[in-house]
Amino acid sequence: MTVTDQPAAASATRRLTTAKAISEAIAQEMERDPEVFVMGEDVAAYGGIFGSTTGLLDQFGPTRIIDTPISETGFIGAGIGAAVEGMRPVVELMFVDFFGVCMDQIYNHMAKIHYESGGNVTVPMVLMTAVGGGYSDGAQHSQCLWGTFAHLPGLKVVVPSNPYDAKGLMTAAIRDDNPVLYMFHKGVMGLPWMAKNPRSIGPVPAESYEVPIGKAAVARPGRDVTVVSLSLSLQRCLDVADELAGEGLEAEVIDLRSVVPLDREAILESVGRTGKIVVVDEDYRSFGLSGEIAATIAESDPGLLRAPFTRVAYPDVPVPYARPLEYEVLPTHRRIREAIVSVAGR
Amino acid sequence: MSVEITFPALGKDPDQQGVVATWLVRDGEPVTAGQVIAEVAVDKVSVDVEAPTAGTVRLLVPEEGVATPGTVIARIE
Repeated sequence: MTVTDQPAAASATRRLTTAKAISEAIAQEMERDPEVFVMGEDVAAYGGIFGSTTGLLDQFGPTRIIDTPISETGFIGAGIGAAVEGMRPVVELMFVDFFGVCMDQIYNHMAKIHYESGGNVTVPMVLMTAVGGGYSDGAQHSQCLWGTFAHLPGLKVVVPSNPYDAKGLMTAAIRDDNPVLYMFHKGVMGLPWMAKNPRSIGPVPAESYEVPIGKAAVARPGRDVTVVSLSLSLQRCLDVADELAGEGLEAEVIDLRSVVPLDREAILESVGRTGKIVVVDEDYRSFGLSGEIAATIAESDPGLLRAPFTRVAYPDVPVPYARPLEYEVLPTHRRIREAIVSVAGR
Repeated sequence: MSVEITFPALGKDPDQQGVVATWLVRDGEPVTAGQVIAEVAVDKVSVDVEAPTAGTVRLLVPEEGVATPGTVIARIE
């Protein structure tokens, strides 16, 4: 675990949106390594519908920034083929919800070739994809699903919550010889046309750097209760924690940053100090990340907890389209606050 | 000597309103020539605004503030 490794505010801090941080990481890796290229729906002329590849076509041209037809099985399969031949593709699946039509490529090929080849063939590929809801895009365009992919052996899964980590995790993902699923929440991208938390715009070094995959960060230290979260929910947890600090309750907020490998040590270390935990997860409640964290604690030392394990997660229902209904089930500021206050015994 | 930065024309209508969607610098910060300092948007089209010269930036329109093409949104001193 690393205590938040973002640079202290300097006099001339360069700030970027998360979207710009991602595209900058890809651009710098493309300059460094001619084997890196980008492929996906609307990644070239449009720049990615959530801005993850903005400007790359102008910089690198259509042979390295490739718009594909609407055939996820086809272009993810092509990416896997390029990767096993030694290239380092960054392939975008426009919405993670579309995994249904291409899961054979992702799970039976991208995730398993390294194992099934006896370690002889690597698949150094990044599959990046947009996740999450909160903007009335309905049940087929709003899911997080990191628990679904984390369940399947063979993939690393990274989920940044801010521009600094987004750039460093993308750089690390491209350089990693394993297949990495890079999941960006639309709500952390800092897009001009979507409601945005100021935490989606932040200091980003101009030079290239890596954020280690599999390492959580203490986004905010505290002594009273451990709050474990990731992605857009992490931003909300920090907002709630700042608010509660003014009322004398100090929550420690841990940003997982990666789901696979999961930094179990970071969770156990913090819970060992606070004795109380709230997991905030926009993915479905049952059979997923929050349950895995509960099991991690129970398997380590059930005596660590001095209050019931508590989670704020998505109920096991499809994502509603109607905005009032959607905000009833999302991990909102109100639900997070109520859970932390309840666990803290205030 | 200061340099004015104006809201760009993003469409055919010279009076079409847009917004300063995101300031990527804070008021009073030093900037370098060519540094992207803002994203501005009209409807769902957004473009970057770069600093034309180095200096200290003064922000004249708040984030989410409305502007039309030619509106002075910042000044570099």
